[in-house]
Amino acid sequence: MFDDSIQLPSYLDHPPEVAEYFQEIEKRRVVLGIEHLGRVFEGGETPVVALSDVNFQVRQREFISVIGPSGCGKSTLIRIVAGLEEPSSGVVAVDGIPVTGPGADRGMVFQNYTLFPWLTVRKNVLFGPRMKGIRADKADKAADEWLKLVGLSDFAELYPAQLSGGMKQRVAIARALANDPRILLMDEPFGALDAQTRCSMQAHLLRIWSAADVTVLFITHDLEEAIYLSDRIVVLGARPGRILEIIDVPVPRPRSQEQFLSAHFLATKKRLEELIHGRNPGADADGELLHD
Amino acid sequence: MSMTTPSRVAPGEPLARLLGVRKPLDPRARFWVGVLAFALPFIAWCLVSYVPFIWHPQVLVSNAGDTNVPGEYSYVASGDTVDFDVFVMRNRELSAAHAKLAEGKRVNPIYLQAPHEVARAMYTAFTTAPERTGDAWLHESLLQSCKVIFWGFLWSALFGVPLGVLCGTFPFFARLFEPFVDFVRYMPAPVFGALMVTMFGLADEPKIAIIFIGTFFQMVLIVSNTTRSVDASLLHAAQTLGASKLQLVWHVVVPGALPGLYRDMRILIGWAWTYLVVAELIGEKSGLSAFIYQQQRYRHFDNVYAAIVIIGVVGLAVDQVLAVLARYLFPWETGQTKLVRVMRAMRRALPQRALART
Repeated sequence: MFDDSIQLPSYLDHPPEVAEYFQEIEKRRVVLGIEHLGRVFEGGETPVVALSDVNFQVRQREFISVIGPSGCGKSTLIRIVAGLEEPSSGVVAVDGIPVTGPGADRGMVFQNYTLFPWLTVRKNVLFGPRMKGIRADKADKAADEWLKLVGLSDFAELYPAQLSGGMKQRVAIARALANDPRILLMDEPFGALDAQTRCSMQAHLLRIWSAADVTVLFITHDLEEAIYLSDRIVVLGARPGRILEIIDVPVPRPRSQEQFLSAHFLATKKRLEELIHGRNPGADADGELLHD
Repeated sequence: MSMTTPSRVAPGEPLARLLGVRKPLDPRARFWVGVLAFALPFIAWCLVSYVPFIWHPQVLVSNAGDTNVPGEYSYVASGDTVDFDVFVMRNRELSAAHAKLAEGKRVNPIYLQAPHEVARAMYTAFTTAPERTGDAWLHESLLQSCKVIFWGFLWSALFGVPLGVLCGTFPFFARLFEPFVDFVRYMPAPVFGALMVTMFGLADEPKIAIIFIGTFFQMVLIVSNTTRSVDASLLHAAQTLGASKLQLVWHVVVPGALPGLYRDMRILIGWAWTYLVVAELIGEKSGLSAFIYQQQRYRHFDNVYAAIVIIGVVGLAVDQVLAVLARYLFPWETGQTKLVRVMRAMRRALPQRALART
């Protein structure tokens, strides 16, 4: 895919504005801390190590993606962070407090939408505040604002079944954000969407992320999606699931789809391909056939 | 058909459309095929009843001929209904004696009543006083049956639905209750008849109890299964939105299972009608079953049919009313709220470009 005759900069070679941006991030407080996280699935003939010694931190308003081949345990990782699964070892902490189960401080957006079919779009968005017992009039106003931000004000009274996939996922995002979480967990949220919708959803998400004070942990297997959206990318390897590298994305913000062909973008993508598909620069031409 | 000018409707296409594999019928076809579902059995009934020689295996003797001629079949008398063979044999005896032959017309057996007779009975059964004073009129019987069904099913649902939801929600309760319920489920409700009469007397109570036994145990298992089928990812989503355990049950499990539970209830009401017939014959016979039993003893088979048809009609009507009600109870399944209709009209009115944006 990459012609080695084209000279790309190193993905480690940050433009000055990007370097400055990362320095600024470093000063922010840590929202999510993951330490020595491990997950072993017992029960089979041999125990399967899904995650092994995973360590990283997510800072306030950071957009961080976790990427890796299928079976690398990235979904297990985000489900542990959400509190839907328990780790075999290690600690997940939000604002320094260890996670013991699911909670409103970690909003989650799932690949399969998971909107409540019996509630209208507005009531779906209001679900979290309602569970917290927030007064209806106050919550209503907030819900309207979130619906406006995701561009669904006109569809507030429809039921999820009447929406397209992209619209459903926007409702799911609004629903998670209306609950005012410390961190937004997104588990391959655009995986079920067609390519075009996925593109517009990515742009949408960036807009929401820049408009709202929200920290995002994003799971994907799409390299370009990860680069386009993220500040940093955690690359997991499979069997056992472990961190191969954490990449600071050198593509300056604000991002646009034109950057897909910029040198920094391509350099990052090349590095990701090497890590995930195990291809080194100058590897044999059959490398393409080796990855899954 | 030429290749260059394909006709819009190819020959055989309507049939191909009707018989598409898992292809829904268009609304008009749906309606007419539905009508056919009732029309076909009805036509068959009419043919057998009114067209001679399709069946008509008996003869109603109008004139027995010379009854003084002895013979094996000399019992054939005027006004009797005898098998066709018997009639033929009798006439053979008579003709051998050169006596006057018997006359009669071919009829169907008494248990096959013609449509017009049943139709008349449907009317007269309501308007004719019962033969024995003290017996119930048909409408009283019908009301009585409905009453027993209503109370039996209500009690059953009152306990069965919450217990089923509990089992479907907490594996602990499923393990605690389901094995025993599964065990009792296999016992046919009618075997409890004598017990129930001893416990509750001869009136309505034992009948209600039989309906309860017949539906309750099935209901617990069906409800718990339906509850379990609520998408687990909805529960996960609710948990990440901060729902507590109780909120999870009340705001996710229950509304998520509700349309399915409603469908279950519609099916189980049908079962209640099945048990009704047994239930009403224990203790003091009552309701439609008693009416049918009574009419059958008087050999008023037109009335028997009328009562059976009425059970079918009531069952179908209740089910259809419930189906229509479901559209209003669960608008998210069909999207049939007033507001949604207005919204849809608005969306149609919007320029296409505005929609493309979404």
